[in-house]
Amino acid sequence: MQPTVDLTNCDREPIQWPGYIQSHGYLLALDPTTLTIWQASENCQELTGIPTEALIGQPLHTLTLHHVPGQELVDLLTVALRQDDPAAFNPYRLKLKNQHWYVVIHLHDDALILELEPPADAVNITDADAPLLSKALPVQVLLAQTMTDIQRSSSLADLLEKTAHKVKELTGYDRVMIYRFGDDWHGEVVAEARESFLEPFLHMHYPASDIPRQARELYKVNLVRIIVDTYKPRVPIYPVQYADRGRPLDLTHAGLRAVSPIHIEYLQNMGVRSSMSLSLIYRGELWGLISCHHYATARLVDYPTRASVKLISQLLSTALEIRKDDEDEAFAQTLHQREQHIHQQMLADWDVAQGLTRHPLTALGLNTATGGALLFENQLIRLGQAPEEADIYSLIEWLKTTSPDVVFQTDQLPNLFTPAERYRALASGVLMIVLSREMNEYLLWFKPEQKQTQYWGGNPEKPVVRDEAGSERLSPRKSFDKWEQLVRNRSDPWRQVEVATALKLRENILQLVTQKANQIRALNEQLRLAYEELEAFSYTISHDLRTPLSSIKSYTEIYLEDYGDTMPTDARATFDKITRASDRMAMLIRNVMQYSRMSRTDLTMEPLAVKPLITQLWDELRAGENGRDLTIQLGDTPQINGDQTMVAQVFGNLLSNAVKYSRQVPRARIQVNGTETDQEVVYAITDNGIGIDMKQAGKVFELFQRLDSAVNYEGYGVGLAIVKRIMSRHRGKVWFESSPMHSTTFFVAFPKTTQSAQTDLSADMPKPITS
Amino acid sequence: MLDILYIEDNVDEADIFKRVISRLPAPPSYKIIVSGTEAIDYLLQQGTYQGQSVPMPRLVLVDLNLPGQSGFEVIQQVRANSRTRYMSMVVYSTSDSPKDMRRVFDLGANAYLIKPGSYHEVSDMLRRAIEFWLTQNQYMP
Repeated sequence: MQPTVDLTNCDREPIQWPGYIQSHGYLLALDPTTLTIWQASENCQELTGIPTEALIGQPLHTLTLHHVPGQELVDLLTVALRQDDPAAFNPYRLKLKNQHWYVVIHLHDDALILELEPPADAVNITDADAPLLSKALPVQVLLAQTMTDIQRSSSLADLLEKTAHKVKELTGYDRVMIYRFGDDWHGEVVAEARESFLEPFLHMHYPASDIPRQARELYKVNLVRIIVDTYKPRVPIYPVQYADRGRPLDLTHAGLRAVSPIHIEYLQNMGVRSSMSLSLIYRGELWGLISCHHYATARLVDYPTRASVKLISQLLSTALEIRKDDEDEAFAQTLHQREQHIHQQMLADWDVAQGLTRHPLTALGLNTATGGALLFENQLIRLGQAPEEADIYSLIEWLKTTSPDVVFQTDQLPNLFTPAERYRALASGVLMIVLSREMNEYLLWFKPEQKQTQYWGGNPEKPVVRDEAGSERLSPRKSFDKWEQLVRNRSDPWRQVEVATALKLRENILQLVTQKANQIRALNEQLRLAYEELEAFSYTISHDLRTPLSSIKSYTEIYLEDYGDTMPTDARATFDKITRASDRMAMLIRNVMQYSRMSRTDLTMEPLAVKPLITQLWDELRAGENGRDLTIQLGDTPQINGDQTMVAQVFGNLLSNAVKYSRQVPRARIQVNGTETDQEVVYAITDNGIGIDMKQAGKVFELFQRLDSAVNYEGYGVGLAIVKRIMSRHRGKVWFESSPMHSTTFFVAFPKTTQSAQTDLSADMPKPITS
Repeated sequence: MLDILYIEDNVDEADIFKRVISRLPAPPSYKIIVSGTEAIDYLLQQGTYQGQSVPMPRLVLVDLNLPGQSGFEVIQQVRANSRTRYMSMVVYSTSDSPKDMRRVFDLGANAYLIKPGSYHEVSDMLRRAIEFWLTQNQYMP
């Protein structure tokens, strides 16, 4: 069975120990203590005149390199090895064949690796027009120029552009691109400097498989890679296996390292003869590359120039970090200020929804969203460019089941939730915070779709190519034709600081909700106390008023008893008025006390038979109405649940009103009838008296309110207020219907559940909000 | 020998009481004390009444709302003392609160009279109460 070939095969190629070097230089791997040769590139024979296999095991000083005694190298290495880091003083120079070669050494993989590189002139076809700045400018000048560029660049794009040109100028490559990786490691050319005859690659995208994972790992360690000539065969290192490691020597840091044949083929397919790439690192991760191409001829950028360009790439990396931080900082600062502002609005309004949506600065100001929605207290408020209400509701339903977290974000909603394709123009990106799952309260932000045409350098679906022998060797793509792809369903991504701000806002909202609940609870308590105090006050006042009142009454009577016989008639009449006024006041006080006691007394709920109750009340009432044609008609009398004393007061008040307000009717007829439903028992008490003008219906149950029609009847406007109070304490209802001068019916409804208002206040007070 | 001890702080009430008594065919003897604290001292022969041989009443009429110790406290103290445990204690108050009534009966009052609002009614009520508690009731001190 053949192993499956896919694009990840590239990911498995061991590129750090290829076993080959590029042909323009020589490599020796030495024992760092004895300087005995362990390995050598096979082209060393050109230098030494000795077959490479004969070099292995020889001490370095026994060699002769183009008439230069090996001892010279030994002396050089001895000096270099005295340093803590022998690579720090690279390159060393050695004159071979009348040319200064660069000797580059480093310790790695337990070996002292020595590379000999020719000067650039030895490879490059000298172009009279190309200014070789590297020769002319010392590093300090170069650094100063680059720093100036970094400081002067107004934007990241500008900085990258300038850097690309600077690198092209220094190295003389035909094309210098700055390549930026996306989250999925596909790359985009974000800056470019090129010869005018070349087609621009700016804004082209390249698939992630173009630069496989292990290459990216290596690029994080070795910041500069050069390929001098893709058409020259690579040179093997002898022997193939390094020491007893069972693998070739690790060439991670060797400038001469030969790259994978697949990569060479890839470059050849692209028409590239020479290339160099430099890593751009942002916060320890590969941000992008400076990628240089040369097309017609081979090109060698010598070690000192490479070092300069490396320095530039490092400076650029630092600048990326600073500039990105600056941008983030300024943006974060703005968001922070707005978040504070919104917090103040919510506090000032003492209202979450209002503070978030009803001011010039809304929740939309807290990020780069263009639409939003607040579902709060069963109300949906849309902001800016938001989807339809029904769509938002179904989106929230989906989000609820999708993520258990308090925050959710995506920049490709339609790819996760297909129904969102319909409104992707408004909401391809969604950021949601959960305010309360229990209360179904959410805040959402929307970003529109960024419909983009991406241009790929070739088909991003890199095909697997079978070679002629039919084996599934992975072959790099051959086509680099521009490939257009329309990217849909995506928005700009949400930035970290936007998500952080949303979470901070969530905290503020939750805090306000809690504070509000607590405040209402506290207000409730205050109201309850005030109410209780008022009740106690009115009770005490009425009570205390009674004593002096009875003194007045009593002394009046005593006076009459003692001197009544001798009083003139008009004095007697005045005395009668005093007596009557005291009586009225006594009655008023008694009523107020009764009313206030209604709120203070606990209810004792029990099933009550209504018929005997009414019969007894009726007998008492009749006794005071001698000589009237007054009859009662008793219909059904279903049992009710209630407090006996209070229920008696309800019927007593209603019946006495019926009796009282039908006095002018020659034949007063009063009917009492009860009806029963599943929920309640309703009693209707009807009289054929003067009736109530419905214009004054609002006053009927108010304390101390008397209607115009009742002016001629004694009363204090307390009876029906007491009825109402009692009914509400029974969680029942009272209402009436009337046609003036014809009839009046009062209805009282007692709920059938035994539940009642056990506390005095609940019936009259706003319900506390509990969260 | 004392027929009635009336504990009442309101001078008008006391005044009217005196008048009603004086109109009776055989006026009983009475003493009026204006504070609950003094009444307790009197009945328990303590405080300023310590060591004095004061006559114990056959009937105590006690208002509830009194300065110092209230009528409730008077009843409680009297009932707590073995010498006065069975004394006839009748509450005479303007309060018609069922709560007050329940409380005084819990403390051991013998009866509860609600003060009426007029002289005639007061007169009637006191005549009947005196007739009952002093003539018909057989009280063993």
